[in-house]
Formats: sequence, structure tokens, C-alpha cells
Amino acid sequence: MTNDTRKQAIDSLSAKAGRGEISRRQFTQLAALVLAGTPMLLRSTGAFAQAKELVLVNWGGDAITAYDAAYGQAFTKDTGITVKMDGSGPTEGAISAQFKSGAPTWDLVDVDPFSAITLGAQGALEPIDYNIVDKKKMRPGFGWDYAASTYFFSYIIAYDSEKYGKDAPTGMADFFDVKKFPGKRSLYKWGVSSWEAALLADGIAPASLYPLDLKRAHDKIAAFKENVVAYWGGGAESQSVLLNGEASMAIVWSTRASLIEQDSGGKIKFIWDQGLISPGALAVLKGNPGGKDAAMKFIASAQDPQKQLIMFDKLGQGPANPATDALIPADKKRINPVDPDNMKKQIALDMDWYAKNYGAALDEYTKIISA
Amino acid sequence: MRSYLSDRMGAALLMAPLLLFLVLAYAWPFLGVVKWSFTLPTPGLGQYEALLTDDLVQSVFIRTLRIAAIVTIVSVCAAYAITVVWVRGTPAQRLIAEFCILVPFWISVLTRAFGWVALLSNRGLINTWLQAIGFISEPLALVRNEFGVIVGMTHFLIPFAVFPLASAMRSLDDRVLLAARGLGSSRMRTFWTVFVPMTRSGIIGSAMIVFVFSLGFFVTPAILGGGRSVMIAELIYLRIFQSPDWGLGAAISVVLVLFVGVLMAVLFRYVKPRQLI
Repeated sequence: MTNDTRKQAIDSLSAKAGRGEISRRQFTQLAALVLAGTPMLLRSTGAFAQAKELVLVNWGGDAITAYDAAYGQAFTKDTGITVKMDGSGPTEGAISAQFKSGAPTWDLVDVDPFSAITLGAQGALEPIDYNIVDKKKMRPGFGWDYAASTYFFSYIIAYDSEKYGKDAPTGMADFFDVKKFPGKRSLYKWGVSSWEAALLADGIAPASLYPLDLKRAHDKIAAFKENVVAYWGGGAESQSVLLNGEASMAIVWSTRASLIEQDSGGKIKFIWDQGLISPGALAVLKGNPGGKDAAMKFIASAQDPQKQLIMFDKLGQGPANPATDALIPADKKRINPVDPDNMKKQIALDMDWYAKNYGAALDEYTKIISA
Repeated sequence: MRSYLSDRMGAALLMAPLLLFLVLAYAWPFLGVVKWSFTLPTPGLGQYEALLTDDLVQSVFIRTLRIAAIVTIVSVCAAYAITVVWVRGTPAQRLIAEFCILVPFWISVLTRAFGWVALLSNRGLINTWLQAIGFISEPLALVRNEFGVIVGMTHFLIPFAVFPLASAMRSLDDRVLLAARGLGSSRMRTFWTVFVPMTRSGIIGSAMIVFVFSLGFFVTPAILGGGRSVMIAELIYLRIFQSPDWGLGAAISVVLVLFVGVLMAVLFRYVKPRQLI
């Protein structure tokens, strides 16, 4: 409804009131309705008219069906906008390519917040509209200018409990101690978590971890190389190195750790101690085909605790909205990376550090592990 | 004369859509990559300079060439033996050879890589068996290293090595072999001094195809190398998608394409394209 039609509606109402067809009180009520309804109707003819579809790009696998079940279908029901899931992996380079093409086909991306900081500075992302997305429905410190956290996962130690018996590792020092815990290890191929693990093992206190002392971390990693059987590049690979016994201890995503525990019949266990908490976030591409407002509304709708609970059940994602914690049944709290009991044992990755240093650090890391 | 000309015209017309497709789908976008290599992050030759000084890029290039060379030698030798059986064996032998060549063709590269992990890992079939018969006490490191990469790539590339060899062996005139035997040459001597030299073009073609293919391998080294045997394609991926450092990634791609181009030019000096199929 445009301003003109609104004016006409009120004019006709006042004419009716003048003729005594409706009472004065009815007139004010109806006029208020017309005025209140207008902004919403305006939006529906504006942004919504062009946005009948949003494309959300995530990391694929089970995430495609889970995102659809938790967020996509409900959003379509509420707004009439279909949400298509694309599992092709929104790496920083891929998002950058979408933006530079000048005609992005993606709307929302499940992005690493540090990539969002870099991409936002390049102008590739829309700033998050915190009038639509509620900052209070996020854990403090996990909403950024260009990305809003929607879940958490963690890099944690998983280990072969049969091999180590009652002696469970208690932190990164044990991970790097092959005398006390003999056997092969597996680390992440793309560096994230390996630097922190090496420094924690080398005796740096969690509070003074950042900025990372890369030289020291790389020395530690280089000296440890012969104990590493494989550097895994994806979740499935991290599961298989533990399940087929190639590694006796590995730093893996918490979302996979509970699956590994299940698949091994409890033989492979995991700990939260010195786990490295990492937020997952949604960001909106600049000039996205579905419209900025629709995308922001989608992010706001994904803050719903019930929906985040579905993601926890399906993928083990720690909820971004603290209100979800209370909905998680007691026996499942153990596998929630941001459950208060688990969270206090862990350390959050510093996204600003990663935004500035990741590229160069990864080069150096790759050089060392593949030398 | 008339029909010869119209044949050529017809062939050109039939080829045109393919050529157009190749230009649109490969050559045109690749010009964009060339542009990036000179313009990102700042215009100039900086990225090519970096190629000469960056020790990660250099070590990966050298590793890629070394692995490609080893894979080429092993694949061509194995393919040679298989092809002899395929082309000159009894009908039953030919059937077995065909089976060995074609079945791997139909299985995805990913499945084959994971298959090798299952065979070669610490608790894989081979290590378990060797330990069971008491041949070794500790599992051998057969995978998640360069050895695993070479095994996986060789397995993938043998069928590609077979076709140029088969083409060369089929076009060989049997009477030459009979003449050699008739003049008193032993079977082995006939093979090494007559048969092998006369299939030289097949060997060169086969080696070139395998070598060029090896340079671009991505999935197999990523899975079987365990992060320790990064090859050039994975390094490009890292630069473009993980770092993301498009300028250097593009420069590496351009150098790789030029390198392959030179190799192909050399190949076609010695071998006619039709001999490769």
C-alpha cells in the first residue's frame, strides 16, 4: 500500500464518519490499523516482491538437510520465501569470487567470522542490520559488523580410550606428549587450532595466547612432525583416521567427536579441556539477488531457540542463542560445546587475529608440514 | 578433388561447435586468470617474482615434478606389459586385460583413493596380513605419505597409458617380427631390439599423457598424502580458496599451463595425435 492509497483509505474513512456510517471511535481504530499496517505492507511490495527465493551456502553433507529442516522450511512457511541450500563450501576465496563476478547468485553464507571481517573490509558483505537481527539473542562478543553467530563448534581432543585405559589426556600438553601417551596423532591441515594447541602445550597460559607467537608454535609443530600420521582436511577424514586406528589421538571438530564416539562404540572418547571454541556465522553477500532485508530476516529467524535446538540434535552445533541451553536435555549437555560447564574449560579463537594473520600463518604452516 | 574439399569443409563444420565451446569455456575465462596474475593484489610482475623466491611454491613444484616422473615411469612400464597381453595375447588373456583396463575407468577417483587407504593403512589389509604371517612386527607406513600418493596415482593413470601403446603395437607389422625370428634372433632379443624400438612413438605418447595428467592431480594426493605431500593443484586451491591470495594462485596456474603447453608441443613433434588413441 503506497502513501497515496493510505491517504485515500483514511479520506474515505473520515467521509464515512462524517456521514455517520461509522462512529468516531471506530474511525480512529480503523485509521490506526491502516497506519500501523502500512510499513509492513510497504515492505511486502518492496523487498519481498523481488525476494521469493534465498540461496544459503553451507559446507555440505548432513548440513544441507539439517539447515533445511531447522531453518529453511519454517522460514518459507512464515514468509513465502523459499530457501535453497547449496553445500558447495563458502570459503573466503569462493565468496570473494561471487562478489567480484558483479552478479552474485548467493544470498547467505555460513562463513568463518574471520573471513567475514576480511570480506567485509573489502566491501563484499552487507553489514548486519542489528535492528532486525537481535544482538541480545547472541552470546556477548560473538556478533560482528558483517556476520552474526548462529552456532558454535570446537576443536577438541579425541583419543583411543582402549589404548590409554584410565589415563585420559587432560589438555594440549598431553596431546604433544608421546612418552606419556604413545601413538600417532592427527592435526588439522588448514592450521586453525594447531597453533593454539602447540603454544598451550609449550606452556603458554590460555589468557596470553593471543597474539599467537607463530615462531614458537611452528618450532613446536616442526619438532612434532614424525608423530603425526595425517593432517586431515575434512570432517569425514578426521573420523576415519581415528576409527581405522591410524591415529590414537587427534584434534577434531566437536561436531564430529560425538559421532566418532558413537561409531566406535565408545572406544574413542573426547575431552573439552583446552578445546578451542569457534563460532560459525551467517553473512549476507553485498547486492545479493534475494534482497538484503529478506536475508537479514532469515538470520533473525535463525536465532529462534527451538530451531537452534534442531541444529544441535542433528549436527551437534552448539547454539548461538544462550536461551537454547535450557532446552537441551540433561543427558545431552555433555556434547554441547557452549554448555557453561564445557565452555569454562575452553578458549575462544580470536577472530580479529585470524582476520589479520591467517593467510601468512597458513602458508608457513603448510611449508612446515609438507616439507 | 571436389569430394576431398567438401569433406574437409564438413569436418571443419562438425568440429566448430567443439572449438567454440573450448574457447568459451576454457580459453576466455583463463584470460581472466592471466589478468589476475598481473594485477592482484597490486599491478606488476610481483607475483612472478614471488614464484622465484617463495620456497613453499618451489618445494611444491619440485615435489610435483618428482612424483609425476616416478608415476610416469611406473605407469608406462606396467601399462606396457598389460598392453602386450591385450594386443597379442590369447582371447582369454585379452579378456582379462580388458577387464583390468576398463573396470578402474568406471570407478570414481574418490572411491579409489579411499579404497587404497583401506588397503594400505596401519590396520589395512596389507599391513594386517604381513603382520599375521610374521613378516613385519610394526605396520609399514604405506599411506598418508608420498608412497601412497604414487600408488594411488599410478593405479589411476595406467589405463590412460595403455591406449597410445595399444595404438602403436597394433600398427606394427608382424612380418618384421617374423623376419627377426627367421634370422635367428631369440624371443627376448626380438622383443628388446625390434618390438620395443618400433613402438617408441607409443611409449613417448603414453609417457607424456601420464606426466601431464600427473601435474594436475588434486584429490588423490589430498587424500593419500595426509597433508604432507601437497602437490601443485592443491597449492593453487590453497592460494585461491583458503588464503585467499589470488594473484599468486593465478601466477602458479599460468606457469603450470605454459609448462604443459610446452610439453604438448614437444610431444606433437614426435608423435602424431592419431597415434595417441
